[in-house]
Amino acid sequence: MNLDKMMDLPGAMAAFTYSDKGDLQAHVLREGTELTPQVLDLLAHSCVANLAIANMEARGWEAVTGQGGFQPLKGFSVVGLEWSVVVNGNCGVVVRNRDADYEAAFKALQAA
Amino acid sequence: MNIVKQLMAIPGVIAAGEFAFRGDRFSYEGALTDEFARMASILCRANTLAINMQTEIVDSFAEGCGCRPVQGWIAHGNLVTICAVGNYFAFVENRDELLNDVMTIMRAKVGDIRDDLLANLYSKIGGDTREALY
Repeated sequence: MNLDKMMDLPGAMAAFTYSDKGDLQAHVLREGTELTPQVLDLLAHSCVANLAIANMEARGWEAVTGQGGFQPLKGFSVVGLEWSVVVNGNCGVVVRNRDADYEAAFKALQAA
Repeated sequence: MNIVKQLMAIPGVIAAGEFAFRGDRFSYEGALTDEFARMASILCRANTLAINMQTEIVDSFAEGCGCRPVQGWIAHGNLVTICAVGNYFAFVENRDELLNDVMTIMRAKVGDIRDDLLANLYSKIGGDTREALY
């Protein structure tokens, strides 16, 4: 996992990896950002939970409605006021909203 | 033109809608049945509330860090992506630049979500929303 490459995404403020349980494993923070390793650890835990919930919803939605295309889930993003966190698998990136390229972030996370 | 109609005018947007505070009041356009739109509204509202709770916790550790009030979320599926901003949602096909365009339009048209929307989402749970909201 090349976190420095993730930091090349437009508006990237932080990139991080986490365990299956959500514990922060490695991170890179852009200098001057308000984010801290503690915040990233909290975000990582919430991201694991959100990915699990979204997977469950995708599975349930396909089963109930018969519509396809939701599974496998390829990422989840929480859009905050100033920044968004985009995650997939065991890796995430925080991007500033005004510069965010969600598609590029999801693609980069899939490739990671 | 309302936001839902504007979203539906974009090629690749499968469905779009607006959900009300309890999730069981909704309007929508596109390839959903009434029942599926009701389910989508409840799903979107539940996710929005959960994420709002999470960002409140994050903010308590780093006040003013820029995560709250939460604006929305994106669930990126294999071929279809669901995105929600405020109390609007859209189902979009995974096409190049479509998700970015939809998010830009939703953020611009819905505007920044302030605490009052989410306060309402909380305060109305289980209450008589009909009288208060309609």
